[in-house]
Amino acid sequence: MRSIAEKVIKSAIEEGRKKLLEHEAYQILEAYGLPIPKYGLAKSEKEAVKIAEDIGYPVVLKIVSPDIVHKSDVGGVILNLNSKGDVKKAYNTIIENVKRHAPNARIAGILVQEMVPQSLEVIVGATRDPIFGPVIMFGLGGIFVEVLRDVSFRVAPLTPVDVDEMLREIKGYRILEGYRGMPPRDIDIVKDIILKTSKIMLENPEIKDIDLNPIMLFEKGKGAKIADVRIFLV
Amino acid sequence: MGLEKLFYPSSIAIVGASRQPGKIGYIILKNLIEYGFKGKIYPVNPNATEILGLKCYPRVSAIPEPVDVVVVSVPAPKVPDVIEDAGKAGAKFAVIIASGFKEVGNVELEERVVEIAHKYGMRILGPNIFGYVYTPSKINATFGPRDVIPGNVAFVSQSGALGIALMGTTILEGIGVSAIISIGNKSDLDDADFLEFFESDPNTGVVLIYMEGVKDGKRFVEAAAKTTLKKPVIVIKSGRTEVGARAAASHTGALAGDIAVYESAFKQSGVLMAKSVEEAFDWVKALAWNPVPEGENLVVITNGGGAGVQASDTFADDGIALRTPPKDLVENLKKFLPSFAAFANPIDLTGMATPEWYYKALYEALKNPDVHAITVLYCRTQLADPMDVAKAILNAINDAGVKKPLTVSLIGGEDVYQAIRFLTQHRIATYPTPERAAHAMAALYHYKWNREYVAKRLEYLKS
Repeated sequence: MRSIAEKVIKSAIEEGRKKLLEHEAYQILEAYGLPIPKYGLAKSEKEAVKIAEDIGYPVVLKIVSPDIVHKSDVGGVILNLNSKGDVKKAYNTIIENVKRHAPNARIAGILVQEMVPQSLEVIVGATRDPIFGPVIMFGLGGIFVEVLRDVSFRVAPLTPVDVDEMLREIKGYRILEGYRGMPPRDIDIVKDIILKTSKIMLENPEIKDIDLNPIMLFEKGKGAKIADVRIFLV
Repeated sequence: MGLEKLFYPSSIAIVGASRQPGKIGYIILKNLIEYGFKGKIYPVNPNATEILGLKCYPRVSAIPEPVDVVVVSVPAPKVPDVIEDAGKAGAKFAVIIASGFKEVGNVELEERVVEIAHKYGMRILGPNIFGYVYTPSKINATFGPRDVIPGNVAFVSQSGALGIALMGTTILEGIGVSAIISIGNKSDLDDADFLEFFESDPNTGVVLIYMEGVKDGKRFVEAAAKTTLKKPVIVIKSGRTEVGARAAASHTGALAGDIAVYESAFKQSGVLMAKSVEEAFDWVKALAWNPVPEGENLVVITNGGGAGVQASDTFADDGIALRTPPKDLVENLKKFLPSFAAFANPIDLTGMATPEWYYKALYEALKNPDVHAITVLYCRTQLADPMDVAKAILNAINDAGVKKPLTVSLIGGEDVYQAIRFLTQHRIATYPTPERAAHAMAALYHYKWNREYVAKRLEYLKS
């Protein structure tokens, strides 16, 4: 696991990048067995179609560039594509949008990704604290984290007892258990994601921050999908 | 190297010992002599031949015998030379009182001092401290109050002024100490080093730390978790709010990390985090003078409904649910209590309660094997003199011959405070409000739960 991550990180460092490209970040998550959507990096319209056909529809296309921070602002993301034709069109639209809005941006390719259905959003994050080392955060997404700051932290190494307390500590815990007709969620997969995030941080000292946001959390037994990821290096 | 020679030295030298009363170098020497240190004491001062009846030496290396601990009370710029000389002479520990190091930006001077010490294998406590106390060895090498009470609480303070003031508070509050450590800038020895010593120190039952920040968080978590398995660790973390953290950072130059991170680290190491000095001292009394509860059956005994409700609410806030008292306890209480007394939990003896009723109720609760902990509340009434109630409580404990977790609240005026002092002198954790008695009892349960959590956690980490 570390060997794959190390290779990815090394190439980013060699290119002088502090932020991993999205497909690189997914490679690391994949190596550690985290639930990520199916994806592939396309360098041409043809490749994009091939990847989309392999994944199955609907898919999402996203620009991958070391120079673009907010993909949507430059028209670099197109959602909910349901056919070959959609993918071809979207591919070219994104390239044109980026050329117009960010003419100097380097383009590494276009990420073709399984479209993750909307569900309960949770977030898992990690940062390297100068005093305590890796610190892992958990919270419910959206207003829970942004307005209410309803998050919990633990210091690595995390054990299953820590993760259990970490989940129960947030005020919105009952939402995970199922509340007012909402189904109970797959809490086990969240615990697994948190423990593996702790492991990634411990085994890869080059990583400064990880942000898995949002994670779409499905009903009990149905897992989760990490819809977006950001990894920053120290 | 452990800290044995710091706490059990055969000799202590005081560099900067002074003949002038009021000077720090005088007070430390005087405290050390008068508190009764049995090892050798060597005042060091090149301008004196004798201080307080002891022969004086010009420098540490001139002392004919080996010195374990050197207390350094000279101005900061002179410290490197003193450390060099003491190191050469083979001293094991330097306790550096002087300020004027990292806390005012003199980082290099501080680093140089540590470097010199380490060259000779010497460890440093401080600088920027008021000294240290270890009552089992009758060491009071501070310029704080002399007559600290021997006991089982180890108190480590990063703050100097607050720490030295709290030395006095321990005496006022009747809290006996095993150790008081002014830890200051933590240039070398830090919280984790002392936790490692106190963890296995048979003279210490509770560790209280006033902390601005730690240098190595991971090591602190490991040391605190290990200690928690054996004895409670309470931390007053200064800078709980962002504003406070900024004040703490500029205060000692300590790297005050994010408070949320500290809080999680404390949880994972089982540390009880106190918000205030008052709360910490309340907990210290309850934890130092009581065993850990063996079960969840906590019984509250009161003579007033209001006090009972205040305690119940506090327990609820602290996550403790009061259960129905054991049947046989209720039966035994019904034998002497009026029919209008309440036999739920809290057990309300009613405003008619006499000292005798307090005695009997507490005695029965202590004797009942299904009662695991007791909180006794008393509101001042004309029917029960507070000192008589205090004595009834003490007698019940002595006559029952059972040691169970117990906190007491006596509520009222001046005569009630005398009764509180009386019980405190007998090491019964007694408070002036029902909330504080309940919250202190809750700390015992929280410690018990924290210990279970940490044990489980460490089990996972081992595998």
